[in-house]
Amino acid sequence: MTDPKAKFGYYVEKRTLEATDRPRRFLEAFAAVLEHSSYHLPLDVYSRAGARCGQCAADCQLYQSTGEDRDIPCHRSELLMRIYRRYFTPAGALAARLGDGFVLTDEYLDGMGEAYYRCTACRRCKLTCPLGIDHGLITHLARWLLAEIDVVPKALVVATREQLEGVGNTSAIPVPALKDTCEFLEEELQENFNVEVKFPIDVEGAEYVFFPAVSDYLLEPDTLMGNAAVMHVTGGSWTIGTGNYDGINYGLFYSDRMMERIVKNEVAEVRRLKGRKILIGECGHATRSAWFVPTFCGPDAPEVVNFMQYTAKALREGRLPLKRDKIAERVTYHDPCNIARAGRITEEPREILRAICSDFVEMTPNRTENYCCGGGGGTVSVDEIRAFRTGPMGRRKAEQIRATGATYLVAPCANCKKQLREICEDNGLDQVQVVGLHDLVLKVLDFGAASGEARDGGPAADEVSRLAKADARQSAEHVRRCTEGGEAPRWLGATTENTAGI
Amino acid sequence: MQAWIEWARGPVFIFSFSFMVLGLARHVALTVWEAGRTMRRAGDRSLPLVAIGRATLKWLFPAGAIARNALFSSTSVLFHAAILVVPIFLAGHIALWTRAFGIGWPAIPNGVADVLTLLAIVTAVALAVQRLTARATRAISRPSDHLVLLAVALPFATGFLTMHPALNPFSFESTMLLHVMSGNLVLVLMPLTKLSHAVLLPGTQLISKVGWHWPLDSGSRVGAALGKEAERV
Repeated sequence: MTDPKAKFGYYVEKRTLEATDRPRRFLEAFAAVLEHSSYHLPLDVYSRAGARCGQCAADCQLYQSTGEDRDIPCHRSELLMRIYRRYFTPAGALAARLGDGFVLTDEYLDGMGEAYYRCTACRRCKLTCPLGIDHGLITHLARWLLAEIDVVPKALVVATREQLEGVGNTSAIPVPALKDTCEFLEEELQENFNVEVKFPIDVEGAEYVFFPAVSDYLLEPDTLMGNAAVMHVTGGSWTIGTGNYDGINYGLFYSDRMMERIVKNEVAEVRRLKGRKILIGECGHATRSAWFVPTFCGPDAPEVVNFMQYTAKALREGRLPLKRDKIAERVTYHDPCNIARAGRITEEPREILRAICSDFVEMTPNRTENYCCGGGGGTVSVDEIRAFRTGPMGRRKAEQIRATGATYLVAPCANCKKQLREICEDNGLDQVQVVGLHDLVLKVLDFGAASGEARDGGPAADEVSRLAKADARQSAEHVRRCTEGGEAPRWLGATTENTAGI
Repeated sequence: MQAWIEWARGPVFIFSFSFMVLGLARHVALTVWEAGRTMRRAGDRSLPLVAIGRATLKWLFPAGAIARNALFSSTSVLFHAAILVVPIFLAGHIALWTRAFGIGWPAIPNGVADVLTLLAIVTAVALAVQRLTARATRAISRPSDHLVLLAVALPFATGFLTMHPALNPFSFESTMLLHVMSGNLVLVLMPLTKLSHAVLLPGTQLISKVGWHWPLDSGSRVGAALGKEAERV
């Protein structure tokens, strides 16, 4: 019982292992969810109509790689539907009395705890299910119910705790460090492009309040500089709010209760700043969870815009000045499941990439049918399953990337980026650079003639950003260690120099 | 024996058919009612109706699926087409409706019915083979998945034999009785088993979207119901 990895492939908190009376508590949570949320309808229809044809297996990148029964989407969903039928339908209760004899046990729940975190909830299997069963929805619900009995990867719950009850964001970046970072990025833009781009902080009445994945402040300076630069050249009215500057919402991965709290905090920040819209940075799950704003806050809640939608609109309206020289290296695009699977954001990034790259190639398959990066559903945050993520789960993706022969792999999602970098490292794709979309936009934005000279005089932008990223990774590692150890991160002490350098 | 056959296609059929209609109507009514209730309670009442409609049509007429997985999908589509058309449009079946209720509709020629019946039997066998041999499908199959397929195939096999007495090694009456009773069994099984997808399938794409439309404050309401409002993360 002392090994935190004894039951699951991932680390859990001590309380997970000490929990008692779990079957009863699981069923109580299930009953409450059926009463107060909307899962009863799909569970009921899926249970009645599901035909067990097995077509989903053909489209699951995990099952195709492992060939294990537990990785068949329909098999996994049955784990939860069986409980639903047995305890919440008269026919299931009758069947149990007549000899089926299924009883929910601790071992069964442990099996679910493992199975539902082997799925990235990419929802690719929904595309081939003749019955239209959304196994991603079942995974989503099962994880929530498991979280109510404390079965949840430590990485997710620790980050959420930091966001809701700690410093206020998942990377534990305090406001002074955020401001330092923004100042540094402004200086960086000044040095490299000779242009005065602002990261406006706490500006009231701005049209857009900006919520990137907060880890971008640690790991993706180029993406953020690209975001700010686009706002600069288009004259966009935007601000970063010091009350809440994190778009990350791990609630999407393990609990609607957490998801609601995080979403409401975003809306509260927009209202505090008298802003009008929520602008999400390059992040798939942050975007999809923000699309749940009206779900939790009603139809009058602020509109949600993904940064790529903003930039594509500016491009279409001719408000995005671009240099004549396009990016010459081969570029490919990874569709993050959370924005692409339902077809909501697939064309905007392509419009932008076609405008700024001379050699853009598609992955096959792409758009709604794209393979998951292999780290979806929050699993990318679970470092101890890296071998699983980049091995059986990520193999298909690695083959797909290799086939494009691309130098730049654009992934407009913080989670996908981390996972894809690890996939490239672990699968010998050393020549591939994983970047954000706005990293490339920044390279070709035309700030006007004045910026050219300064750029020649200063250090090469690529080199600077590489150094900045190396610093940033060190800092991120530091924060992670601190957070895991339960200490407060010492951003303003010994590491200030490091963090200021992002 | 003739009296048994009359009993099977008289009162037993009326019971089975009514059971099917009422059972399936109940499924539809409950599903529609609950979908409506879910959307009335939902915080976000917008639905991508065009995309849902497109996905629904795609799976009602799954030409795209055939391109994706030719062997399974074409077998499945032919199977479904055959088992839907023959029972409804066979001249002999329509004659029974005309005799009992004075209603009728155009029939398909018996030759076509023969071909479709054989197609139903062949594709049913193929689906059974697929279920037994494809690793993933076998792993997720319940006993009922095999039995339901058998139950659906039986009226077609016996029906073919009654239409072709020369090929039938058994007596006509016993084959006919088995035919009618197995047909009745399928009707009864419709609302009770996965065969209910006959009426639920057109709604599943919609329901898979509606399922994501939760009520306002649903997360905190669940928290309150579990007494976890003040609990730390």
